[in-house]
Amino acid sequence: MVSGCLARIVYSDVKHNFLIHYIVAVCVLLVSPVFFSLSMLDSVLAAQPLEVFVPLIGIVLMTPVFLPEQNDSIYDVVRSRKVDHNIVCILRLLFSVIIAAVMIGAYVLFMKHCDSDVTIKHFIGSFANAFILGAVGFTFAGLSRNVIIGYMASVIYYMLNFTLGTKLKYFYLFSMIHGGFEEKKCLLIVASVLIIFTLTSRKIIDSR
Amino acid sequence: MLFSKECKKILHSFTYILYCALVILMVVSQYFGESDGKVYPPVKGGDDYGYKIEEDHDIIMSSATVALTTEYFANRYVCYPFGFYKAVHLNNKEQAEVEKYISELSGLDSKELIDIKNNSNIYNYTDGTHYYSDYNVMDVPVSETLTYERFTEIMGDVDDILGGGSDYAVESLVVRFSRIPMTYEDAVEDYNELIEDDKITGAYARLFSDYAGIVLAIVPVFVAAALTAADRRRKMNELIYSRKTSSFRLVFTRYASLVTMMFIPVFLLIVIAFVQLLSMYSGEKMDMSVMFTLPTFWLLPNIMTASAIGMLVTELFSGGAAILVQFVWWFMGLMMAGTAGLDGMIGKYTFICRHNSLGMRRAFFMNWDNFVFNRIFYIIISLAAAVVAVLIYDMKRGGRFDGIRLFGKNSIFRRKA
Repeated sequence: MVSGCLARIVYSDVKHNFLIHYIVAVCVLLVSPVFFSLSMLDSVLAAQPLEVFVPLIGIVLMTPVFLPEQNDSIYDVVRSRKVDHNIVCILRLLFSVIIAAVMIGAYVLFMKHCDSDVTIKHFIGSFANAFILGAVGFTFAGLSRNVIIGYMASVIYYMLNFTLGTKLKYFYLFSMIHGGFEEKKCLLIVASVLIIFTLTSRKIIDSR
Repeated sequence: MLFSKECKKILHSFTYILYCALVILMVVSQYFGESDGKVYPPVKGGDDYGYKIEEDHDIIMSSATVALTTEYFANRYVCYPFGFYKAVHLNNKEQAEVEKYISELSGLDSKELIDIKNNSNIYNYTDGTHYYSDYNVMDVPVSETLTYERFTEIMGDVDDILGGGSDYAVESLVVRFSRIPMTYEDAVEDYNELIEDDKITGAYARLFSDYAGIVLAIVPVFVAAALTAADRRRKMNELIYSRKTSSFRLVFTRYASLVTMMFIPVFLLIVIAFVQLLSMYSGEKMDMSVMFTLPTFWLLPNIMTASAIGMLVTELFSGGAAILVQFVWWFMGLMMAGTAGLDGMIGKYTFICRHNSLGMRRAFFMNWDNFVFNRIFYIIISLAAAVVAVLIYDMKRGGRFDGIRLFGKNSIFRRKA
C-alpha cells in the first residue's frame, strides 16, 4: 500500500512537474551530434562530448527537484500532508538520477555502436560530472529556496572549468580529456555529501 | 526614487552577490594573473617571437588550395563547427563538387589531380579508432586567372558543403593560412605598437575586456531573471499592477538599475587594473581614457543583452527558460569565438568578442569596423528586447495575457481534467 502510494507520487510528479525537464534533457542529447563527432573516436576524443556536453542533463534534471513547492503557499499545503515532503523530494531526486544514468548509458551505447572507443569508465566519468553539476544546483536551490540560484551555482561551476581548468584539481570536470580518471571518485563522493547535507539541513530548518 | 529602490533590491539579492563574486574571481584569476608583469622589449637572438598575421593573398590562396586538396584526397575534412573536433566525410556527389572547385582553383583537370595523388607520399596514421591514409601533397598550383574574390567565394561554398566550422570559412582564411612566425624586427615593431600606438592602456583594456566579456555574456541573466521573477514569487504582482506608474517606466527603470548595478563591480575592477598599470609603467606615456572607454563599449552591450533577454524570457515563460536560452547562446558563442581564433577575429554578429593577447594590435584593428558594428547592434537588440518586455508586461498588467506557463496550473504540459 505504501509502495503504491509512493508510485502514485512519482507518477503524478513526472506527469505534472518533470515532463518538461525530461524533454529538455532529451533535447540536449539529441542536439549533441551538431556540435560533436560521435563516431570512430578514440577514448580521449570520445571523452569530449561525454564530459563537456552530456553532463549538462544533470543540471536540467536535478536542480529543479524543489521547484514545484518553491511557492510558499504550496509549500505550506504540502507540508501539512501525511507523506513527509522530504521523502517526496528524495523520490524525485532518485528518479532524476536514474533517468540521467539511463540517458547517459544509452548515449554511451550509441557511441559504441558508432565504433567509438568507449568503456564503462566513460559512462562513470560522464555520470559523475552530471551528478556533481546536478548536486551543486540541488544544494543551492534547496538551501536558498530559489531554483534560479541553483541553476546559477551549477552554471558558475561549469564555467569555472573552462576558465580555471586544471587549477580546480579534484573538482576538475574535464579530466578524462586529459587522460585522468581519479577526479571522478572525488566528484561522486562530494556530490553525495552535498545531497545528504542539503536534505539534512532542510529537515533541521523545517523542524524549527 | 523607483530607480534607487530597484538598485537596493538588487544589492540585497543573493544572485547579485554571486554575480559580483564570479566577476571578481574571473578577472582576478585570469586578467590579473596575466597582467602582473611589465612587458619588456624583445631580446635579440631569441628562439620564438610568436607569430603574426600577414594578409598576403598569394600565400593564403596557395596554402588553402594545398590543404583542401590534401583533405579531398583522403575524404576526411577536420572541422570545428562549435569549437569541438568533427571529422567530416563527404558522399560522392559532394566530393565531385569539391573536385570541381579544386579544378577551378588550380586550373588542373581530374586526370592531373589523380597524377598528383599518385605521386604524393602516403602516410598511415590512427585517428580515433579509425585508420587513415593521408597524402603528403607538397604543391598544387594556383590558377593564374583566379582572383582573390572568386577564391573566397569558392572557399565559402566549400565551407557550406562541409557544414561550417572548417578552415575554409571566409572569416578564418586569413588567420588559418596567412600566419607566419615573427622575426626579431617584427617583435620589436609589435612592442613599439604597444608603447606608441596603444599607449600601453589600449592593449591592457583589450585583454581585460576579453576575460570579463566571457562571464558578462551569461551571468547577468541570473540576476535579471531572479529580479523579474521575484514579484510573482512574493505575490507583489497585483499590488504593482494597480499603481499609476506606466509599464514602460516600471520595466525600463528596473532594466536601467540592473545594468547600472551590474556594471559597478566591472567599473571598480577597471579602476584597480588602471592603478596597477600606473604603478607598473610609471613614467611611460599612457592614454588614460582608453582604459575606461574601450571596456565600457565592449562590455556594456554584453550586460545589456543578457539582462534584457533575462527579463523578456522570464516575463514570457519563466526564469528557468531565460537561463536555458542565454546558456545555449553563451555556450555556442564561446565555442564559435574559440574556433574563429582568439586574436581579434570578431565578426559582425559575434556575441562574445575575443582578443586574448596584449599584442596582435593589427589583427584586432583589421576587424575594427566589425567590432563597432557588432557592439552597436547588440545595444539596439537589447533595447528592442526590453521594449518587447514592456509590451508583455503591459499585457499581463491589463489581464490580456498571463505568460506561457511551463509548470503548475494551466501549464502547457498539464493535461486538463
